[in-house]
Amino acid sequence: MTDFTLAGCIQAPDGDGAAGGSACGDRVRITLRVVGEQIVGARFGALACPAATAAAAWCATRAQGRPFLAAARLSVSDCLRDLELEAARADCALIALDALHAALGDALSRVALASAPERVVVAMSGGVDSAVALARTHASGADAVGLTMRLWIDPAAPDASRACCSPDAVRRARDLCHSLGLPHITLDGREAFRAAVVDPFVSAYAAGETPNPCTRCNGSYRLDAMVGAADALGAPVLATGHYARRVRRGDVALVARAADPAKDQSYMLARVRPAVIERLRFPLAADTKDAVRAEASSQGFAAAGVRESQDVCFLGGGDLRGFLVRHGFDDEAGDIVDETGAVLGHHAGAAAFTPGQRRGLGVAAAAPLYVLRTEPARGVVVVGGSERLQRGQVDLRETVLHLPLRRVEAKLRARSPAVGATIEPLTGPGRLRLLLDEPVSAIAPGQTAALYDADGAVVGSGIIDAG
Amino acid sequence: MEPFLRERFGNASEPHWAGREARAGLTDARRRAAGALGCRARDIVFTGGGSEADNIAVLGRCGAAQGRVVSSPIEHPAVGRALAALAERGLEVVLAPVDAEGVLDLEALADLVRPGDRACFVIWANNVTGVVQPVSAIAELCAERGVPLHLDAVQAVAGVDVDLAALPGEVTIAVAAHKLGGPKGAGLLAGPGIGSLCPCLHGGGQERGLRPGTEDVAGAAACATVVERAQTAEAHRSLLRELRDQYESTLGERVEGVRFASAGAERLPGHSLTLLDGLRGDTLVALLDREGFAVAAGSACSSGASDPSHVLQAMGVDRERALGALRISLGDLSEPAHVPALVDAVERAVVPLRAAAAAL
Repeated sequence: MTDFTLAGCIQAPDGDGAAGGSACGDRVRITLRVVGEQIVGARFGALACPAATAAAAWCATRAQGRPFLAAARLSVSDCLRDLELEAARADCALIALDALHAALGDALSRVALASAPERVVVAMSGGVDSAVALARTHASGADAVGLTMRLWIDPAAPDASRACCSPDAVRRARDLCHSLGLPHITLDGREAFRAAVVDPFVSAYAAGETPNPCTRCNGSYRLDAMVGAADALGAPVLATGHYARRVRRGDVALVARAADPAKDQSYMLARVRPAVIERLRFPLAADTKDAVRAEASSQGFAAAGVRESQDVCFLGGGDLRGFLVRHGFDDEAGDIVDETGAVLGHHAGAAAFTPGQRRGLGVAAAAPLYVLRTEPARGVVVVGGSERLQRGQVDLRETVLHLPLRRVEAKLRARSPAVGATIEPLTGPGRLRLLLDEPVSAIAPGQTAALYDADGAVVGSGIIDAG
Repeated sequence: MEPFLRERFGNASEPHWAGREARAGLTDARRRAAGALGCRARDIVFTGGGSEADNIAVLGRCGAAQGRVVSSPIEHPAVGRALAALAERGLEVVLAPVDAEGVLDLEALADLVRPGDRACFVIWANNVTGVVQPVSAIAELCAERGVPLHLDAVQAVAGVDVDLAALPGEVTIAVAAHKLGGPKGAGLLAGPGIGSLCPCLHGGGQERGLRPGTEDVAGAAACATVVERAQTAEAHRSLLRELRDQYESTLGERVEGVRFASAGAERLPGHSLTLLDGLRGDTLVALLDREGFAVAAGSACSSGASDPSHVLQAMGVDRERALGALRISLGDLSEPAHVPALVDAVERAVVPLRAAAAAL
């Protein structure tokens, strides 16, 4: 059942995964050789307690000579049962299983499973929505495979476990798959995520903008990576737990508003390319959050009790300013000025202010003052009365229009309603102007503008420009 | 032992015939144990094992948690943790250092032990390294300063001559029967220092008031028997020493990266603490267990963290090496043929474990 002669490592392996090293000091490494759909070689490394070492040997023994997806089904409870370990040793076995699944995820870029029309890869965050998406996909008779991306780790964050795809979240997703007898893959996207999402997030603040990292992540990194993983796994489609619909306008697949307007997440998907949308499925399109949570509770999913994340996922429970400072943005204290340049007060750093913000200014005035804009290059925050926040037009850059419409509904930030707008061309690639039907307050450069047609489909998008 | 569990099942504290029969057995056990250990029969207190005997001594000297005691950093938890608990309540506990072989630094000890100290606590033969401390010198320096000395002799009785008459001062020792092949749950506290211990348990006043409760005559009889046997087994000790030395020399020849802790010090004859580079001792133990060998590690993953032995830490052994400790105790059940078999098994088990560690 455990072959200790598999101790060692495969040179230039197809999959390489390591785990442990923190709490108890135990470390495990698994290396894999994959040919076609088979894991033809597996070796384990360990400097660990007897249980973790035996679990590492078990992982290598059980993976070698098995199909890739069979190895992705190997679970902590399988290991405990086979090795007759007590439940108290689950944490030891977990180190080995973490290493195995890291190795499988690493191997994915070198694997090409045969195309399987019934296969559906389900994107899982460890939260309740994707848990229900998985369960429904499985119940529909599809050949479901769970996929979780590790996107971020920031040990210095106040609550690292709340950050996106923390180890706990990955294990929750994996455990759910395994409890249903399904394979689970963990993709390590941490380096790419930093380059694709976090670095631009920090530089946008440095440039005086208020970026939306979620639309950026979905549009230009995460879903592309997961569709790539689905390709490797031979799956034609990727299901996610988003509250959104997929609609078709002629030949083009688009994201559209969900049935439940309170939970609609189409804005977060506004930057996703139609070629990716073509591959997506949204099993929760017609649901309310309450119904989904009730369904998860009734099936006993651990994710049912997980607090919903509202923050930017990688802030990890901390404040924005602390995050920016930790990630290399050297923000300086400066003045709070009015539009004439008169100094009204001081701030500790301009970047963390956003247009429309009133709190945290510490400036006394006869009428309430709001942030109009920030100019980190000069180190100033410009403030003014609420009437100065109103704008009747907004310029967009990096725009994409999937349909040639002139009239749209423009949603200019995540938590405000869409307003009617007329599109007017501008010179310059990817640039256009929206003439708003009514003035909108506190428009923040850097935010995503999602452009909807009258039936709620996202027909285009752009980034709000300082103009 | 067996008669006291069957036909002579009286209460040794009762005056009737059944009690008298049991009492005779207890008296005989006390006399035999005293004879074997070199003390008066009245200076034997039978206990429920070694840890209990150590605790009665610790609490009997400094249960009020006042004053100062001197001990070593390599004590068995029965003494070390008992002292630590009292230290939390105010007892001043001073630890004398050991050298790299695990032998107590006598000069440092002589400086540390002062007249007026409540007591000195030293483990006679160490349970991790097997090192035998120079107890005559320790007893002398304590006696000179009028400080009582308690020796945890749980390991020592199996491997060295114990003669309490040769140790000056208010000495006590703790002994466990099971370490000598006797039953678990039986032990004794012995020595002339017993008279000045304060009782920490209260009841019917049995065993000089130090270990009240109806006496375990069967346990006492068995304890006396195994102590007598251990103290007259010089030939057996020589055999164990020979087997241990054979184990160490062949293993040292056959396996790289091996050294033997405290090999330069006087050790218990059947005891070896092997330090193997590049692996974890507890994991090696698990593999040897699969081959039928009941051996121990120098550490244990107790609280979710792998803690190297406090004894090895006190000797200055680095953490990684201390985690590669394998403890071998040869005893009554060991046969000459076991040694080459054990060396083979260690050699086989080391290969995958080191390969696994090197793969990280």
